Amino acid sequence: MQYLTQLLISGLAIGAIYGLIAMGFAVIYKSTGLVNFAQGEMTMIVAYIAWTISTTVSGNLFVVAIGAIVAAVILGLLIERVVMRPMLGEPVFATVMVTIGLAVILRSSINFIWDAYPHGLDVGFGRNIVRVGNIGVRTGQIAVIATLLVLLAAIWAFFRYSKFGVAMRAVASDDRTALLMGISAPRVHAAAWAASSVIAGIAGVFFAISYDLSPAMFQLGLKSFPATILGGLDAVLGSGVGGLLIGITENLAGGYLGSGMKEVAGFLMIIVVLMIRPFGIFGERDIERV
Amino acid sequence: MKKYLTTASLLFASALLVGGPALAQQGITDTEIVIGDVEPLTGPPALLGVAASIGHKIAIAEANSAGGINGRKIKYVLEDDGYVTARTIQGAKKVIEVDKAFAMLGMSGSGQSIAVMPVLEKSGIPTVIDVAPVKFLWEPARKNVFVVGQSYEEGIIHLVNYLAEKNPGKKWGLITQDDDYGITVRDGFDSVVKAKKLNVVYSGNYKKGQQDFSSDMLQLKDSGAEVFLAGGIIAENIAMMKELEKLNVKPVTGIFWPGRIEPVLKLMGPAGDGIYAVDYVEPFAGEAGKAFLEKAKPLVSEAELKGINRYTMTGYAAAKVLIAAIERCGKRPTWACTISELENTKNVETGVMAPISFGPGVRFSNQKLQIMQADAATLSFKPVK
Repeated sequence: MQYLTQLLISGLAIGAIYGLIAMGFAVIYKSTGLVNFAQGEMTMIVAYIAWTISTTVSGNLFVVAIGAIVAAVILGLLIERVVMRPMLGEPVFATVMVTIGLAVILRSSINFIWDAYPHGLDVGFGRNIVRVGNIGVRTGQIAVIATLLVLLAAIWAFFRYSKFGVAMRAVASDDRTALLMGISAPRVHAAAWAASSVIAGIAGVFFAISYDLSPAMFQLGLKSFPATILGGLDAVLGSGVGGLLIGITENLAGGYLGSGMKEVAGFLMIIVVLMIRPFGIFGERDIERV
Repeated sequence: MKKYLTTASLLFASALLVGGPALAQQGITDTEIVIGDVEPLTGPPALLGVAASIGHKIAIAEANSAGGINGRKIKYVLEDDGYVTARTIQGAKKVIEVDKAFAMLGMSGSGQSIAVMPVLEKSGIPTVIDVAPVKFLWEPARKNVFVVGQSYEEGIIHLVNYLAEKNPGKKWGLITQDDDYGITVRDGFDSVVKAKKLNVVYSGNYKKGQQDFSSDMLQLKDSGAEVFLAGGIIAENIAMMKELEKLNVKPVTGIFWPGRIEPVLKLMGPAGDGIYAVDYVEPFAGEAGKAFLEKAKPLVSEAELKGINRYTMTGYAAAKVLIAAIERCGKRPTWACTISELENTKNVETGVMAPISFGPGVRFSNQKLQIMQADAATLSFKPVK
């Protein structure tokens, strides 16, 4: 039982990271109809910026958190304005290719701006181990699970009750009609990119606190993509839940079937789910796939 | 007329024989000699590529400040392959055919240097490989390709033998990466397991790029393993050690030299204290390591100084051997002479590893190995006596 509990807790912790990144994928897709293949790289860049703040400005948790959020907003807005907005109206395939190009550029920038060494993000929190009986968990892992749950609730409320959230849903549903109703699609797109960057950045910072920071961190994007497919590419909340499911599935497969199964378990799971529900567990039936 | 033509032909032929090959040799002018290199300078493996290139730069700067190779300054041409094999081949072709390098160093990771071997062999350019020594690079011996270092398999055998002698009758665990590097580590491990009849209770295999090792380490704990060979490279070993700390277990752990870099200890924290490593270059905490850092200080930039790790030492040693061989060829070095002088390399002292030797038909320096142990308090590896 202890073995299973430890697997589930660790699965939830890594799953929460996947879930946050997956929510970032879904926010952009829901608002722009686009799959952003640079999501993992955005996660990594924000984490590196947080690390730079912690080592050069202050290691205080709040300073790092605020600095990282501001940096994530700027990064998201910059990408939207400079890279994505000129692609408005272009074929989806071309736009997706642009995000792949962006991913390569962001990935390479790590070595140019920082270095190839792994680093630890030390904000005086997250590395301590809490033990209940023989079960151990790091405080950073508890915090990321809690953060995911809070964000799930906040985003649900945002899309359901806020004017801007409704506007985002309207643009996603039919941008031309939304435009006739007085909604600025570029403004909605910019907000989506900024929000997605912040959510992915939060995942990156928590990952760096609990594990470490390295140029290989962009691979989290690839690991999180099944989560958003599983939850539904257009379902922000579903993507978050999908992350938890993938994290748990991976860990159970790794713990009971062997190490080799861990990395493929998530992908096997989405193949099975997509055969039954091609739009994901929480996705809408008529979404367009790219 | 006939006599005139015969005399002219003889003069032309003798001119070719005396000065021809030297003048025709690429990468050499009266003032300069070009040495090329292809390394991963971007992406995670930049950790080794950048460090190795810094080692080459230190040796080159040292030679240039002493007047160059017989009066010729060394020009270093470095290409980035991003650890992508196709780009290694492309980069090597560019350095040889466009930059007209006289000799080559480095050559990226193991898979990359294996893939680029036909290009090196076909061109005939003198090459000293130093980053990733794997058997295929010297078996069979290629005329123009020399390898400084020790084989991965021998390294693992040395480490496992040492840990087995120190921990008789204990239960063993092993985890390796699912690529050629992992296979080599596993082969070395298996050969000792067979010879010493070790009791292996956990044997895992992880996918390259894996970052979360929670279930793997839980399995290791559950198996009751008391001695653990962590077959990750850098970030993987850090993640494994931190996971073991979380699970409140501390088996006797051994790591391999690709991960034996000092920043790793800082990230592992107390979990990394006491881990064993095997290597053929000197630890920075020792006298030789300190002397090397002192030597490097005036020769490289502040940023490059921070990028120094064990690969800087392997790069430095290879460049020293190559430069010495070209130097022994005198004023008019040729590829044939450089290859011959590389073959004649005997007990060349570099200060960063045991003396280096090659020989007729011997293209592998077969460096002496030593066991080291991590000291978390000083964030360094110290030789085990």
